[in-house]
Amino acid sequence: MKCHNMGSKGSSHKCKKQSFHGGVHNKRSLVMHDDIRILLMGNPNVGKSVIFSKLTGLDVLTANYAGTTVSYTEGHIHYHGKTATLIDVPGTYSLEATSPAEEVAVNFLEDGANVVICVLDATNLERNLNLALQIKQKDIPIIYALNLIDVAENKGISIDVEKLEKELGAPVVTTVATRNVGLKELLDTAWEYSLKEAIPITPVHISQDERWQEVGRIVENVQVVEHRHPTFWDKVGDITVQPFPGLPIAMLVLTFSMLFVVGGGQGIRSLLLLPILNNYYIPVVTTFVSGFVAEGILLNVLVGEYGVLIKGIEWPFFLILPYVTLFYIVMSFLEDSGYLPRLGILLDSMLRRIGMVGSNIVPVVMGYGCAVPAILGTRAATTRKQRIMITSLVALAVPCTAQSGAFIALLGDQSIIALVFVYLVSFAAIIVAGYILDKLIPGEAEPMLMEVPNLLKPSSSALMQKIWIRIKQFLVEAEVPMLLGILFAALLVETGMLLVIGNILEPLVAGWLGLPIEASLALMLGIVRRELGVLPLLELELTTLQLIVGSLVALFYLPCVTVMAVIIKEFDLKLSLYVLGFTTITAFTLAGIFNQVARLLGFQ
Amino acid sequence: MCLAKYESNMPCIIEQLPEGGLLNSMGLRKGSKVSIKSRQFFGGPLVVQYGSRCLAIDKKIAEQILVKGCAD
Repeated sequence: MKCHNMGSKGSSHKCKKQSFHGGVHNKRSLVMHDDIRILLMGNPNVGKSVIFSKLTGLDVLTANYAGTTVSYTEGHIHYHGKTATLIDVPGTYSLEATSPAEEVAVNFLEDGANVVICVLDATNLERNLNLALQIKQKDIPIIYALNLIDVAENKGISIDVEKLEKELGAPVVTTVATRNVGLKELLDTAWEYSLKEAIPITPVHISQDERWQEVGRIVENVQVVEHRHPTFWDKVGDITVQPFPGLPIAMLVLTFSMLFVVGGGQGIRSLLLLPILNNYYIPVVTTFVSGFVAEGILLNVLVGEYGVLIKGIEWPFFLILPYVTLFYIVMSFLEDSGYLPRLGILLDSMLRRIGMVGSNIVPVVMGYGCAVPAILGTRAATTRKQRIMITSLVALAVPCTAQSGAFIALLGDQSIIALVFVYLVSFAAIIVAGYILDKLIPGEAEPMLMEVPNLLKPSSSALMQKIWIRIKQFLVEAEVPMLLGILFAALLVETGMLLVIGNILEPLVAGWLGLPIEASLALMLGIVRRELGVLPLLELELTTLQLIVGSLVALFYLPCVTVMAVIIKEFDLKLSLYVLGFTTITAFTLAGIFNQVARLLGFQ
Repeated sequence: MCLAKYESNMPCIIEQLPEGGLLNSMGLRKGSKVSIKSRQFFGGPLVVQYGSRCLAIDKKIAEQILVKGCAD
């Protein structure tokens, strides 16, 4: 039973035995005859995904800005002997679809449902009601969740719920979704309403102006706003969008984030993980396996140079995981506080010079975690040009967190300057490639029009949950390909095949790039996962120049197979082939030129 | 006067704005009371407060929004 999300912090009635348990369905399954189909709808960033994850017990990622949910997510709720399919529909400002994410929302309404839960943001009732009145025109029973009432109260906004119910002609349940307040009542109401037959509505065609007048009248009737002095977070929120001190603050935030991940990761590894690995794990496993397996290829495959039991544990858990964890702590904090869109506002005019807009900063920063959600996140962008630009740049020059971990481990110990250098090259590449792509891809960057979320102190339980989801995802997604990659490496090394392949690639790897031929292993493994394009270099004794060249190849090299698959799915085969081509060519060209020039200048 | 040129932190009333589209569904319309919270360098967006919320509006769009001053 998965009722932990509801019961953990709420009051006692929240977790009855027969109550909730969820299941994941990524595809739209056929709705069973007696199933209830519930749509969660509303403006962007009003908390639909939080309500969804609390009600279904499913892990979905939420954040404090518009456009977190770009596709729908579906989950099941079993409650009072009935099963409901709850659909978390991407947020939309109106039913006039202007982006792919909004189209999804409109299509869901067209498909019909037993009940719509329309989530209203109590701090912004007017704009939310504009959408609510549009949804109300459909032949589907509708109930309302008035969310974020705690934030509204802090801002001095009070709403007469009874009056609002009368105005809307439907129940309104007040909720604070992040703290489980009101969710049980919301579910009860949804259950009750799902049994009702929809009363056929003759759509009344009113103009936008007339609708806004109606909204204005309702708001006037139900809402009282008292002037409150801005809170500490309001003030911080205000100054972070002023160029001064906003830009220096941004520099501080980014520098601190980087130091936290790099320094923290190095610290955890050297003080805690490496002693455990070297003093306990490796000796114990090696001794244990040697007791059963005779010397030979099998023993080497298990615990040798590329031993599956050694590297298959060391690389993901002892090497990459600390950085991934720390990165997602920072990332989740930036997301939930609502800071990222502010960074987008500050950087908008600079990003425009390279064909992007401020709001694109969100998927790009996500790309430093993993390119997959970054590319999916581009659905919130309104033009195809923007989507292609972000996808290409992330695939080319944004290292994912696992690869960053590998870079830090590889370069950090030998030369911190080399590490900084590789990242500077990555930034420079984003700027140059952005400039070129902007000229190549037809179309203009859309003017910015973006909601600035309230700056909030993130809820610690939501943060913990989110970080945990991401670490779990990393481990699930990384471990199997990593083991297979290492097994492949071990077999190549033990059978001597690596030398054969190395000799074939010798002109490229040794001649042009100046690396030992064993480095061709990184090129092969790098296709599977980005960090595997770096990690094999750890096993070779390389000079600083070779380390930088190897890192540059890995940085620009083709993104991993998963990312290629996502590009095909989200766009088409053609774009994925372009990406494959320009990443690989850039990798070998730039790294090779760097190597040749450095050697001419006398570096070794 | 267009919104882009209006003084910061002074409330004003929208008299005219580009028809339809996102601006409207985001809640800005004729008669809305707004004030500029911040401006960015090099023609970056303006942060405009309306009610208790803020919107980042491209300077180009802000140039098409006409406003008049108001007493408060």
